[in-house]
Amino acid sequence: MMLRSLFAALSLALLCSPAAAQAPLGTYPNQPAVGAPKPYAVPRTQNYTLPNGMQITLIPSGLAPKTTMTLAIAAGNLNDGTSTWLADLTGAMLKEGANGRSAGQLAQAAANMGGALDVGVGWGRTAISIAVLKENGPDAIALLADVARRPDFATDAFARIQQDKVRDLAVTLSQPQPLAVAVMARAVYGTAHPYGRVYPTEKQLKAFTIEDVKRFYSANFGAERAHLYIAGQFDAGTMRRAIEAAFDDWESGPARLILAPNAQLGPSFGRRVLLVDRPGAPQSTLQLAFAAPQAGTPGDIAFRVTDALLSGAFNSRITTNIREEKGYTYSPGSSIQQRPGDALWIFEADVTSDVTGKSLHEIFKEIKELQAVPPPRDEAAGMSTWLSGVFVLRHASPAGLIGELASRDALGLPASWLDSYIPSVLSVGAADIQASAKERLTLDSLILVVVGDLRTVTPQLKALPELRGAKFAVVKAE
Amino acid sequence: MRLVTRITVCLAAALAACAAPQRPVTPSLAVPPKDSALAIPTRLQVETRYVTLDNGLRVVMSREPSVPTVTVGVYYGIGFRIEPRNRTGFAHLFEHLMFQGSANAPKGAFDTLIYRSGGVNNGSTTFDYTNYYEIVPTNALEAVLWIEADRMARPVIDEAVLKNQQGVVGNEVKVNVLNQPYGSWPWIDLPMLANENWFNSHNFYGDLKEIEAATVSDSKEFFDKFYRPNNAVLVIAGDIEYEQTLAWVRQYFDVVPKGAAISFPDISEPRQTAEKFASRIDKLAPKPGYAVGYHVPPRGTAEWYAMGLLDQILLQGEDSRLYKKLVQEAGVTGSVSGGINLIGNMFDYNGPMLWALSFVHDTGRDPKELTALVDSVLEELRTNPVTQEELERARTKVRSGLYDLVDSGTRFGLIDLLAAYALFDNNPGGINDIELGFAKVTPQQMLATAQEYLRPSNRSVFIIEPGPVAVEAKTP
Repeated sequence: MMLRSLFAALSLALLCSPAAAQAPLGTYPNQPAVGAPKPYAVPRTQNYTLPNGMQITLIPSGLAPKTTMTLAIAAGNLNDGTSTWLADLTGAMLKEGANGRSAGQLAQAAANMGGALDVGVGWGRTAISIAVLKENGPDAIALLADVARRPDFATDAFARIQQDKVRDLAVTLSQPQPLAVAVMARAVYGTAHPYGRVYPTEKQLKAFTIEDVKRFYSANFGAERAHLYIAGQFDAGTMRRAIEAAFDDWESGPARLILAPNAQLGPSFGRRVLLVDRPGAPQSTLQLAFAAPQAGTPGDIAFRVTDALLSGAFNSRITTNIREEKGYTYSPGSSIQQRPGDALWIFEADVTSDVTGKSLHEIFKEIKELQAVPPPRDEAAGMSTWLSGVFVLRHASPAGLIGELASRDALGLPASWLDSYIPSVLSVGAADIQASAKERLTLDSLILVVVGDLRTVTPQLKALPELRGAKFAVVKAE
Repeated sequence: MRLVTRITVCLAAALAACAAPQRPVTPSLAVPPKDSALAIPTRLQVETRYVTLDNGLRVVMSREPSVPTVTVGVYYGIGFRIEPRNRTGFAHLFEHLMFQGSANAPKGAFDTLIYRSGGVNNGSTTFDYTNYYEIVPTNALEAVLWIEADRMARPVIDEAVLKNQQGVVGNEVKVNVLNQPYGSWPWIDLPMLANENWFNSHNFYGDLKEIEAATVSDSKEFFDKFYRPNNAVLVIAGDIEYEQTLAWVRQYFDVVPKGAAISFPDISEPRQTAEKFASRIDKLAPKPGYAVGYHVPPRGTAEWYAMGLLDQILLQGEDSRLYKKLVQEAGVTGSVSGGINLIGNMFDYNGPMLWALSFVHDTGRDPKELTALVDSVLEELRTNPVTQEELERARTKVRSGLYDLVDSGTRFGLIDLLAAYALFDNNPGGINDIELGFAKVTPQQMLATAQEYLRPSNRSVFIIEPGPVAVEAKTP
């Protein structure tokens, strides 16, 4: 009865309001052709170095009357040694007072310029950024200089920052995805390299003192490690003078640290499955990793297209399969994580617990399929075109430009890298993709991390032929 | 059979767009001379063309050719607020269904077109609209308009795609809410607590059971009622030529049939007169959370602009009063987040809304103590007028934020703003008057707005208590 009345209502609606199904299909034209894209060039930059070694890159760009700047200092978690997150504590302390101005005064000065100070700490750098209304560009340079060069490192502020980090750590580790990241990093890099230690223990975090922060700062901050990027609207001459006034007398300081990890990847390490129990979890959080080509080495560009085609793009094979056909997951995806002397391909997905095995089966099936058969030319060319288009989008804002240029520089890629990227990507063919998948995604050397309800999930994993004989380990949370 | 007619639309706005000869390139963001009376050093000036087709589709175009890409957005005037009762989460589920293919572009063709052209696309469901947008190289514009029109006219929604997307959306709710600490807090929890009217107070992400119960006929009914051109706005911004773009729009969208006029339900909220309080135990959360929300003045009013500036003064940035009090002075938390409209911004909604803030803190703090702390900051603004200096700083932050909104690599902020002002106000050019609205606010209006809207009886507090299985931070 219920069903019937619903249908009745529906047909009535269709009669009253001619819509959806009744449109004249025959009259709708065919899909218009998509022609060749317009040529694109990354905006030109002006580059120079101060006598103390500090590098400057100016990138006139943007539509809004704003100036965006990032001072990137090669002092990050790579420099932590075994003191995990000391770089984070130091970064947070930069905003807590500098050159006699309190945290509140620094924030207020930034706000008066239409900006906000942001300090971000990553594996290789501390990035101090601000985007201000363009008339305030020179003042913003002076503010960045104070924060980077003259932090107060007050003891009372440190106690609060430390407690905030302890709280942040607890919240972060209550989420399944960061747990998977931490377990994967430890498996790939071991605990001897900073890359293998993503999170400190609470005890470790609580033991740091302001003296540790001061030591970290002295050992890692200086002009030799600094690169200032300025994008948006500005008068180059005015900015150059402001930069000189603010940074010319900064001491050169230490040279940049080079410390490539020795990743524990490849057939000699075998297949490894690391499990973290999350009792009752409705989903399994998956991370699957393989070694990837390092940035700028042969095979790098082809593997980027392989990644996009397999799982990096929304219309990729794995996403189409486990999301758009099977409905096992919402947000599968993969990316290549490149750092100096290191590169890792990571696939991630959160899949409904009871289809964890089925999801992995489909993922492995897609990898093997790509290794066995080159992709159709349309699909291969489409992925190259997608990467070219996304390249344009990534460079289409001042902040985006700074991010891309800073990444290029951190990886030691030449200036010509950005100009050669689109032609290189477009030259990758179907055979290159197949070869790249075969060479890189070797299932006998996979590392898989699963955070989920192990009671439900482990039997599904053990039943997978691809994981037969793999080394399984249940990893405790600590 | 349906009669297809093509009638040339020649409204005044359309004429302006059609008749104009090749126009010189006008920068989207010009800097007019100083307006001494209002002391606005620079003004946001976005060039727009606005046309309404015969079927009611409102078309906004904005040319800005600095990067060879175009951003296209189709905004339907249906958000989760007015989704059907007993079908919570349906508006969002339906958003997913609109990606599942149309008569001339089978499942997968949409994403294939966008990605193989070198673009990206997405959609979202919010309080008062559902949007679909693409950022593509200029050369793909015509094809994108073709496929958006096909989707507007003839989506294909059957049992197979419904079942598939029920799975996807179920997984979306799991990854964002059910398997996450804090999950629905405060973005779903606070509106559910603070509002009285079902349209504003239901779980808009959806009960999994109700998402799974949705049928194909629900979908057809919903589509016919809400997904019509007369309830939609098409925005096209970027590297375009107005005449060619409008010709394509007409070619593909003119034939989409107009739907019946929609009678929208009453979504109003009564004035809140007593404080509300709720809490829940979150077994995944390791630390307690405190959130508080206040109903805000109606969008577009003088009080609403004042509320926007109060938000800047109270909550936005590390110069804000609440950040200073809660983070730096009291050391309760490391960060406070919030604003007007937690899932968008203060411009892109059209109905009752909350100004809300939330933070995670250590155990051992009484919620009453936290409320008193927040209230002490709000009471200052309810007692004393703000200084001119602080007011100017708030305006500077707003202006700078507007520039960020419209000058991003995707132009998403720009099309979102244009779409909201077209959809809700029938005036996309109104985005150029936003700064003026803020410029007119006086310290006395700030005081009066704070007195009415930041009063204790207008607040709703929602607390997260860590669950029994919560543990201290552990490191793998």
